[in-house]
Amino acid sequence: MVTRRDFVKSCAVASGAAVVGLRPGAAAAADGPKKGGTLRVGFYIEAATMDPHLSGSKVDRQVYHNIYEPLVTLDTRLGIKPGLAESWSQPDPKTLVFKLRRGVKFHDGTDFNAEAAKFNFDRMKTEPKSIRKGEVANIDTVEVVDAATLKVNLKKADASLLATLTDRAGMMISPKVVQERGVELGRNARGAGTGPFEFVEWVKDDHLLIKRNESYWNKQGGPYLERVRYRPIPDDTVKLQSLQGGEIDVIDYVQPRDVAAVKTDKNVTVVDVPSLADFAYQLNHGRPPFNVKPLRQAVAYAIDLDQIVKGVWLNVGYPANGPIPPTSWAYDKAIPPIKRDLAKVKARLAEGGKPGGFEFTMTTNNIPLSVQEAEVIQAQLREAGITMKIRLVDASTLISDGNAKNFEMISFQWSGRPDPDGNVYQFFKTTPGTSFNWSGISHPQLDALLDRSREVSAQAERKKIFSEVTKILQDELPMIFIVHPIEPKAFSQRVQGYEAIPDGMMRFKDVWLK
Amino acid sequence: MAEVVLRRLLATVPVLLLVTAGVFALLHLTPGDPVDAMMAESADASTKESLRRELGLDRPIAVQYAAWMGRLLRGDLGRSIRNGEPVLENVSRRIRPSLQLALLAMAIALTIAFPVAIASAVRHNTGVDRLGTTFALFGICMPNFLLALLLIFVFGVTLRWLPISGYLDPLEEGWSGLRSLILPAVTLGLALAAVITRTLRSSLLEVLAEDYVRTARAKGLSEWVVIRGHVLKNALIPVVTVLGLQLGTLIGGAVITEYVFALPGVGRLVVDAVFARDYPLVQGVILLIALGFIVSNLLVDLLYGYIDPRIRLR
Repeated sequence: MVTRRDFVKSCAVASGAAVVGLRPGAAAAADGPKKGGTLRVGFYIEAATMDPHLSGSKVDRQVYHNIYEPLVTLDTRLGIKPGLAESWSQPDPKTLVFKLRRGVKFHDGTDFNAEAAKFNFDRMKTEPKSIRKGEVANIDTVEVVDAATLKVNLKKADASLLATLTDRAGMMISPKVVQERGVELGRNARGAGTGPFEFVEWVKDDHLLIKRNESYWNKQGGPYLERVRYRPIPDDTVKLQSLQGGEIDVIDYVQPRDVAAVKTDKNVTVVDVPSLADFAYQLNHGRPPFNVKPLRQAVAYAIDLDQIVKGVWLNVGYPANGPIPPTSWAYDKAIPPIKRDLAKVKARLAEGGKPGGFEFTMTTNNIPLSVQEAEVIQAQLREAGITMKIRLVDASTLISDGNAKNFEMISFQWSGRPDPDGNVYQFFKTTPGTSFNWSGISHPQLDALLDRSREVSAQAERKKIFSEVTKILQDELPMIFIVHPIEPKAFSQRVQGYEAIPDGMMRFKDVWLK
Repeated sequence: MAEVVLRRLLATVPVLLLVTAGVFALLHLTPGDPVDAMMAESADASTKESLRRELGLDRPIAVQYAAWMGRLLRGDLGRSIRNGEPVLENVSRRIRPSLQLALLAMAIALTIAFPVAIASAVRHNTGVDRLGTTFALFGICMPNFLLALLLIFVFGVTLRWLPISGYLDPLEEGWSGLRSLILPAVTLGLALAAVITRTLRSSLLEVLAEDYVRTARAKGLSEWVVIRGHVLKNALIPVVTVLGLQLGTLIGGAVITEYVFALPGVGRLVVDAVFARDYPLVQGVILLIALGFIVSNLLVDLLYGYIDPRIRLR
């Protein structure tokens, strides 16, 4: 068992003093948490829906993690810890048994139990508009053993499923609310969750309000805050100014260009939250020029990641050696990111039949950071004799072009998943038809490793497999990995007790106001 | 009069048809699709297919357009793809801040533009005139977003007199609602004031050179009476034209201002909808903006008749 103090310490170690207001020597640190107050949170965009099973937008999850609870949840090192399930066991690789917490009630007063959990899984699998289908596809059936025991039967062994259940796919909604409210749940989640806060109201385009759940089952720590008020502020500069001007207390993200300046502001605390994301470029293996492996390698060797991370990202991120971020237990420090080497570029160009260089087009997002990055890459490639044209598109076009494999090299920004599987499997496993394997890579050895990574459950062994995978990816290059961004969040000095978890979600249970 | 209005309204039907058909075609020709945009973090092809089928996106464009038109004739603008909300409800909620902002900006613009333009015209080629034209040039050249950020920095962050961003409805919240609109309205109003100042000044100069003005002055009327009684009304026609065009733009096109001040207006709605490829929502908003333009142009035409009775005869 971990004491609260140890837990806080481990957070600080994991993510560099990531606990706001709990740094040694901080003024008034002697005062304990106190109840009350409204936390005002600024987000770049408004939530899309309050129904976790129909949600496809990242910002929704920020709200969900305060009003809904998943069966299992994450600790600061991305380990799995109990949530609505007290414990779990795996009698065989294809069966998961959850012991559910007793005495937990939904905000509408109904009981959370195995019946309710089964209802949720069934809905995710069968509701026509469910966006969770893919995540729970490997669940064959769900059985109620008794009121507090749920048995999940899998189609095949899947070591990544527990991590998937730490987010929307594991979140439990009151069956009564679902049945009575129907599509209205999307706009009104009153009574729907079990979390430390209850949904109050959502005035579209203006604010979303949640309040403390007075009868929250977990009596340790918070919730302390009376209310949390979310507001959409689309412009990053204005959002930051609203924080500095005291109109809001928390912002979800600080742009790299602003980080240095904000860190000098005494009224604001910046917390660097290393993310699970990987930002990369997919190379199309199905058409020239990148159907030729040495040419892919030539491009990879021509790119200087350190320069990009320093010059474009202003060090608000880490150069990537592959799809797995440094926050993950599966990250292999022994594998360095690909280093720039112009001699190797020359050799690979000759090997690929283009000793005089070649030309290709990069498709990327028309947003300032992506454009800057593209221009730096363009200059780096030019020095190596490779001509890159830049095609700027909006996000919808980018996704459609990627799905249709209509590109030579295309930007791919993945928000990341707690289990390494979520950053790896669907991108590199041979898949006919539409998938995130935009590059079209099909590599038997890689496929075998990927399948194996789901079958074995020992973490040490999985880590070895992912190291192997990373090495193959660096050689085959379905993607050129650039950076694992840090997602800095900023708080006013009033905000205390925030613990950063690398999935970037802001859980306010133990947060309080000075 | 009623007949004129009716005729004009009937003439808008083909315009609206053209606008909606054009937007529909353009939207569907743009690469990208709503289901991909909505499910960006999921690559589950079968779910996407079934969602497309459910939304009717798998049918030919012409059929989709006909279906949309059919619903429109029954007064149904459909539902947003992204969040399932009825388009009409969404748009009518968003039109309020936009209208309030436009009217307030216009009031600010007129309050500034009239004195400046009159002073400039009357003191033609003096220091006063040069100051006036410099102001107008500044207002036209100054980019919206820069002015907005400057205003926020001065009045929101440094002085803390006014809220930095967000919107409260002045009709419900009174003074604090009005406060939330001041900075954005000034941002829009200054640029508009500049345009009106220039238009009104040159129009005034033209009228001031007319013979009947010389006659009026020769009769011994004071300069102010000449301006108020003889000049201003005759110089208004071009200003009213500009105002009519600008009102439409203010309602549908204040995107940057709405974005910076986090105002939930129509401009931001349509841009967000385009990025999400939320076809029904884009269609609905564009239809509304087109209607707005048509109505404000109609008002302008009617105003012409009031200002200059000769126009009524045509």
